Amino acid sequence: MKLLLTGVNHKTAPVELREQLAISPERLSDATRALLAFPGVHEAMILSTCNRVEMLACHEASSPDLLGFLQSYLGIETTSLRPHTYEYRETDAVQHLFRVASSLDSMVIGEPQILGQVKESYTAARSVGAVQTHLEKLLQSTFTVAKKIRTETQIGSSAVSIASVAVDLAKKIFGSLEEKRVLLVGAGKMSELAARHLMQQGADTIFVTNRTHERAVRLAQNFQGHAVRFDDLYATADQADIIITSTGSQEHIFRREHGQQFLHKRRNRPMFFIDIAVPRDIDPEINRVDGVFLYDIDDLQSVAASHLDDRTREAQRAEVIIAEEVVRYQRRAQALNAAPMIVDLQNTAEEMRQAELRRAQARLQSLTPEQQAAVEALTRGLMNKFLHMPMQAIKAAALEADTVMLEVMRAAFNLPAVQEQGKPHVPAQPSAANAEEPVSIGDQRDRS
Amino acid sequence: MYLLWLRVAAVLYGLASVSALPAVLGDRPRWQRICLPVTIAGWIFHFVAFVEMLAAAHRLMPVGMHQVQATLSLLIVTAFLLIWLRYRTISFGVFALPLAFLMILVPAIGPDKYTFSSSLVRSGWIAIHVTLLLAAYAALIFSLLASLFYLAQERRLKNRQSGFLEWLPPLDTMDQIAKTTLILGFYCMTGGLLIGSLIAQEHMGAAYFLDPKVVLSFVMWVLYLVILFVRRSTGLRGRRAVYLSSAVFLLMLCVWAANLFSSVHRFTTQ
Repeated sequence: MKLLLTGVNHKTAPVELREQLAISPERLSDATRALLAFPGVHEAMILSTCNRVEMLACHEASSPDLLGFLQSYLGIETTSLRPHTYEYRETDAVQHLFRVASSLDSMVIGEPQILGQVKESYTAARSVGAVQTHLEKLLQSTFTVAKKIRTETQIGSSAVSIASVAVDLAKKIFGSLEEKRVLLVGAGKMSELAARHLMQQGADTIFVTNRTHERAVRLAQNFQGHAVRFDDLYATADQADIIITSTGSQEHIFRREHGQQFLHKRRNRPMFFIDIAVPRDIDPEINRVDGVFLYDIDDLQSVAASHLDDRTREAQRAEVIIAEEVVRYQRRAQALNAAPMIVDLQNTAEEMRQAELRRAQARLQSLTPEQQAAVEALTRGLMNKFLHMPMQAIKAAALEADTVMLEVMRAAFNLPAVQEQGKPHVPAQPSAANAEEPVSIGDQRDRS
Repeated sequence: MYLLWLRVAAVLYGLASVSALPAVLGDRPRWQRICLPVTIAGWIFHFVAFVEMLAAAHRLMPVGMHQVQATLSLLIVTAFLLIWLRYRTISFGVFALPLAFLMILVPAIGPDKYTFSSSLVRSGWIAIHVTLLLAAYAALIFSLLASLFYLAQERRLKNRQSGFLEWLPPLDTMDQIAKTTLILGFYCMTGGLLIGSLIAQEHMGAAYFLDPKVVLSFVMWVLYLVILFVRRSTGLRGRRAVYLSSAVFLLMLCVWAANLFSSVHRFTTQ
């Protein structure tokens, strides 16, 4: 059985093309069933996120035209598609799948969503019977490798988006965000996003204020928070633990003396100011007040960028792990493949021995039963002695993943071809529950 | 036999101290899984050694500096484990575990040649007095550490540094630990001093209170009270809290050192 992986991703194809190819989660089972029914495909899985569409197939001698499947299933002209696709076979396909699931091939390296998406695809494919021995083995290894990379490297440990950096910083100040109050001054997409993230992480109450009070009321309703009149801003600001500003004001709204005043009222409990506005809403001097922490958009961006650098460094470590795991996977697969070949070798030899014994039967009739048993033992012993060396050679070649040697042995002993052999023995699989465990929801999504 | 358990505990604390570095500074979960069990194992051996040590001579309290050190070391590790249980942070391990290791090292090498020979030190009340004061010292060490961590974390956040010192726990956690340990330490110290004073009053009279160690102890207690009051009323945090905690800590070291000049608190003669 051979492996083929064809697809497009954010590096090879523009979003317009990826949009056309995207298969929604509801249609995934149906599409996988159709791919399984496609000529030449024995096992199949489809991975479709907003950054990639990939088809993985197990096939026999001749490889199926997977782009042809896309053409027939989605009704897309494949001539324009061809230059944007990539194709991986055998070891390369295994390596690619390991990299994808470990989020090394993602737009934001280390994002946690992709593993969950691969698991969803696997579940969909298994539900329609498209995952059997070969893909089952491959995908379980994939999940193990992805998990190993998560635990042994710090590829996903630090936040790389502005909103999540803000949440991380807030947690570094307040520990838990439970029962913390957020004040949103002005409305902006970025500040709303940051506020939403803070609320998701447990922030308790949100106050919204705007020069146009109606707008503040509308926004407060969205967050189920409280609108505060802009005139009351300085009287209420000390109640908030986190203040996010994004107004179009040309002058600073909060200055150092405000910070001192708030801190005094709060009996020195810390305050976190996030200034997303340009020009800035908060005087940088406020950061000098003990207990006040100010981050502007540049600060947040530089933290995000440095975390991204960390991830790139960790990705190099992850690549080394993947290279080792690919070799290990191949060795295991080869070693397992050697078992039916050895059985074939023994069967062929046994057939020859039986044939020779039958031919000599007439001349051996005069022998006593004891003598006949001795002849039987002698021929069997000879056969086993002769077979010992080639069997050892097959086992060694399988462990070394020496496919040339295996083919030579196969030809020399006139053994049946690979696809004619029985299915390889499948090792004890990790439990399905393990494969389907939930993945944490993060902020960087591979799927839009 | 207790010496053997103490040595095992010392080795385990040594290992825990080493593993705490990558576990905390590098945030490596694998090392965290090593550090904690090794510390707990060390603590168990230490505890067994402690009980055997006290039981060996039918004594209820540590006599001699070695045993006092071993007790303080046990209290420090206990506090570290309690903080881990409550706040799930092992950041203190970076300092607390090596400190505990260094403290247990000398007692683990050999038995103490110089023990307090006074019969006075064998009473049960003295045992409570010493244990409470040692617990107060341990609490103060942790309070100072937490305040220092707070300061470092505050600086890091203010200067927008990332990467280095990433392992420090959140400010709020540090603040709570500093506050809780300070209050616990105060209770222990008050109790310890009160019992000590009553015993002294009974055995030696007013002269006892002119001893430098005793006087310094009371100065420390008053300063301690002031810090608690200031912290409570103003919500003091950060730099100033560290200055105050450091002052008490320095005074604590002076009290410890004052034993050398103390005439009545050495218990070397009957």
